[in-house]
Amino acid sequence: MKKLLPIGLLGLAVILVVSVVSGYNTLVRLDQGVRAQWGQVENVYQRRADLVPNLVETVKGAAAFEKETYTAVAEARSRVGQVSAAGLQNVVNDPAAFQRFQQAQDGLSSALSRLMVVSEKYPDLKATGAFRDLQAQLEGTENRIAVERMRFNEAAQEFNTRRQTFPTVLVVGFFGGRFAEKAYFAAQPGSEVAPKVKF
Amino acid sequence: MALGAPAALAGAPAAVPPAPAQWVTDGAGFLSEPVRAALDARLGQYEHDSGHQVLVWIGHTTGGAPIEDWAVRAFAAWKVGRRGLDDGVVLFIMADDRKLRIEVGYGLEAKLTDLQAATIIRDVVVPRIRAGDRDGATRAGVEAMLAALGGAGAAEGVPVADQEAPPRPQLGWGTILLLGLLGVGILIFVATHPAAAVFFLTTLASNRGRGGGWGGGGFSGGGGGGFSGGGGRSGGGGASGSW
Repeated sequence: MKKLLPIGLLGLAVILVVSVVSGYNTLVRLDQGVRAQWGQVENVYQRRADLVPNLVETVKGAAAFEKETYTAVAEARSRVGQVSAAGLQNVVNDPAAFQRFQQAQDGLSSALSRLMVVSEKYPDLKATGAFRDLQAQLEGTENRIAVERMRFNEAAQEFNTRRQTFPTVLVVGFFGGRFAEKAYFAAQPGSEVAPKVKF
Repeated sequence: MALGAPAALAGAPAAVPPAPAQWVTDGAGFLSEPVRAALDARLGQYEHDSGHQVLVWIGHTTGGAPIEDWAVRAFAAWKVGRRGLDDGVVLFIMADDRKLRIEVGYGLEAKLTDLQAATIIRDVVVPRIRAGDRDGATRAGVEAMLAALGGAGAAEGVPVADQEAPPRPQLGWGTILLLGLLGVGILIFVATHPAAAVFFLTTLASNRGRGGGWGGGGFSGGGGGGFSGGGGRSGGGGASGSW
């Protein structure tokens, strides 16, 4: 019996090490999955931001279009640009940066949806080919944003779940902040209420 | 828009139907049979020539779900298009909802842009449906899509760089060494403490997680018979419309 004890301990130690290694590897793999998906999210948001200058120019051309509305869109877009320029390296791991990013993008979403609602009032504008094209592109981009956000949430969920299940949860502590819990995209506050525009 | 975990989709009204077995599936009697068969042959030939999978799927309703959500889910479940190239396109028509959508895979977004898809729907398909010519609408829509995608020709062999399937996990030397030690350790451990060993081994087995999304594509369609998914993905590109 005494001879078996050190062997048993060795076996235990080996299993422990392998647990740690495989837990670490799994976390790295899932973390990379989240980052890759984050890249997709950034891509589609950038696509939307790229549409804005054309959109603003098109509505400016329409006679007497509300200046406030399209100015708001231009401003929201430049805020988005600022958040992106400030460095998006670690947005995925940093909840505060993630929040800022999401807020900037939500701001642009609101400004754009207000613009679209207001443009209903200008049949001439709506009928122009340029505006219609931009509207089609914007709808396509918004749909892509929804899809990539959903996939990001799925990837983040997989990571967070794995991170918290036993025995990987024991491994996480060893590596400091490297495997921080990932934030999720949440619905925009107030998005349940459609924007109201008084005509 | 509320974005929750995928579990939220379990409450969605219409479940995604199983992958189609043909290129043109008409579950709502929208098309006449000769036209359906001709289109099916056309798209089958197109896939054979160009490699791109273009489908037409006609159903009754999405059951209340927005057609955009439904289309993305269906496309993901059926895995239209080739893995890595993501070159699938599906024209969804919901006859009772009177809505339609062209869903474009990642790899073809540059060729069949959102704008082109919207134009096809608005200028080619919807006017004909409104005029009562459903066969013509679908046929014209398909031809317009194929024209945008590029006609039958050599298959494109250049994978879209950032859309490659995630690589299989590599086994490094360290892992091989560790696995060797593990093998020895487990043998000894199992011999001395069978119950505990079983417990540990089942826990470790749960760590070999699923790899990303690169598990096999749809069912096999048999030889030269029908359509089967190739592992492609879409990202919500395309356009929707209604009549």
